[in-house]
Amino acid sequence: MPVSDISYRKRFLTKDNVYLPHLVIIEKIIDETPDTRTFHFNFKDKGLREEFPFKSGQFGEYSIFGIGEAPFCISSSPTRYDRLEFTVRRVGSLTNALHRLSVGAEIGFRGPYGNGFPLDLLEDKNLVFVAGGIGLAPLRSLIWNVIDNRDKYKNIDIIYGARSPADLCFKYDLKNWDKDKSINMVTTVDKGDKTWKGRVGFVPQVLEEVAPSADSAVAIACGPSIMIRFTFPVLAKLGFTPEQMITTLEKRMKCGIGKCGRCNIGNLYVCRDGPVFTYAQIKDFISDEY
Amino acid sequence: MNQKISKKDISKLLDELGKEFKVFSPSRESGVTTFAEWDGRDSSFLEWYRNTVISPKAQLQPLYEKMFSFHKDKEGYHLELPPPTDKKLIFGIRPCDAKALTIIDKTFQDTYQDPYYLDKRKNTLLVGLGCTNPYDSCFCTSLGLSPTQSSDVDLMLTDIGDEFLIEAVTDRGMKLIKKTSYLKEVTKTDEAKAEEARRQASSKVTRRLDTKDLAKRLLSSFDDQDFWEKVSNKCISCGICTLLCPTCYCFDISDELVKKEGSRFRSGDSCAFPVYTKMPMENPRLEKWRRVRQKVCHKYEFYPMSFEVIACSGCGRCIRLCPVNWDITQILASLPVKVKA
Repeated sequence: MPVSDISYRKRFLTKDNVYLPHLVIIEKIIDETPDTRTFHFNFKDKGLREEFPFKSGQFGEYSIFGIGEAPFCISSSPTRYDRLEFTVRRVGSLTNALHRLSVGAEIGFRGPYGNGFPLDLLEDKNLVFVAGGIGLAPLRSLIWNVIDNRDKYKNIDIIYGARSPADLCFKYDLKNWDKDKSINMVTTVDKGDKTWKGRVGFVPQVLEEVAPSADSAVAIACGPSIMIRFTFPVLAKLGFTPEQMITTLEKRMKCGIGKCGRCNIGNLYVCRDGPVFTYAQIKDFISDEY
Repeated sequence: MNQKISKKDISKLLDELGKEFKVFSPSRESGVTTFAEWDGRDSSFLEWYRNTVISPKAQLQPLYEKMFSFHKDKEGYHLELPPPTDKKLIFGIRPCDAKALTIIDKTFQDTYQDPYYLDKRKNTLLVGLGCTNPYDSCFCTSLGLSPTQSSDVDLMLTDIGDEFLIEAVTDRGMKLIKKTSYLKEVTKTDEAKAEEARRQASSKVTRRLDTKDLAKRLLSSFDDQDFWEKVSNKCISCGICTLLCPTCYCFDISDELVKKEGSRFRSGDSCAFPVYTKMPMENPRLEKWRRVRQKVCHKYEFYPMSFEVIACSGCGRCIRLCPVNWDITQILASLPVKVKA
């Protein structure tokens, strides 16, 4: 399963060793929700940013030396050269340690890995983004990418939900996209609070209400697996074919390059052959272990 | 032209090779048979050696391996790679274990080169020793191998009584025997003896695994949860079959830190462990039958799909050393769905 731009990425290795991380500096930390933070970072060797090739939907392996390493998607857009970003929910030992970092901290980064979103498939199409919780992180990279090349794409719908208003990530982006007249932005929460005046309802249910047309459209969904499992049938009901539905999968990964073994679904490695798949591909997976 | 060496001269040969290489030969370490650095004294392995518990794969992908070290000062972190690997020679590797390396090469070469494994592989010479006394659990002949096959080594030794016949398989092997003392020319009788030894060895491997359409049969049995639950019942998820398997290569990556000096290392990992796939909120292979299915299907279905070779060389360790007598050849013979050829 060849990775198309591998030769270019190989030139980006440190000392020809794919496991040796680049040193990067945390430049800014944003509290997204009570348990989720976005980190802006840049290479310690600043010149590397210009050379650093990545696509929306690709991921990196981030490490705190002495604690460990874990994969997170790059949540900023490749069209924005001033910085790179990743977004982390506090759930395990490394993510907790990341949340304890301050601006100026030096961490390890290697990547980019994985296939990324198929931009050529999205061109001249109506785009429907469906995201839940921190699942907006990889889509956000793609959304900014698309906005920065707005004339290449047609209508844009964004349906985004979280458990509660406090759990909505990237509120500053949501505001921007809401103001953008070329985007239909729909935000929802599972359960509102006193100040919440917006929609209330689960993402798949709201998607059905918004009912974007499947005509010349592609839907890109990311969120908790339970949300994804309920989203595909709704999309199908709206007339989307399996080829018109795209998602990005999450697995425990260590190496990021198809060697350490654990992220396989049947014969495919999510790190090497994914993490972005169409529902047509997912339907053909040998295994339901995703 | 093949050569031969007297068994009495093996110690001297290993001493000589030890001047150029770090030589590893079969050894007993705390009661466990493994490949250990040649100590210049004990060549008794020639009598007891059938195959080691720990395969010589451990010389190329150790169960614990430092990837780089790091330390921090005023300027920040500094990363340092371990020193380049020594030139090694593995003396006495069995054909199944040598084939296993050829099989896992594909993973370590795929997409990105794995520098740790491939550097050691490049700097390691393999001197094979044909089997004359295979175990009941061996089934290499079902995987298209023979117990005396020379295809995956640099030099191949075949037991012809008081001597070993030596065949140079690769250029590296050829170069090595050209500068080695203690070798003698072979006679036609020696060649005939070697041929007879090879024939006999093959006939001693009696266990069979039917590999015909195996990947297809596994695919059609993949969703049969009842079957996988039944065959995984007695498995205790100890991981021995994977940790001792010469074609299992899965690993974990972790950090160690003592004061400001630390290292990142990788260690053997196993699909038998629930934690192997555990994510904070979910675990796709929490149930034991899924992990057993993964182990079996990875070797005989997924690996052939990716690399056109079964990830098994029939060494039989997973049968011989399983604490509950779990038997892969039995499991595969009992697959519920048969696909017509």
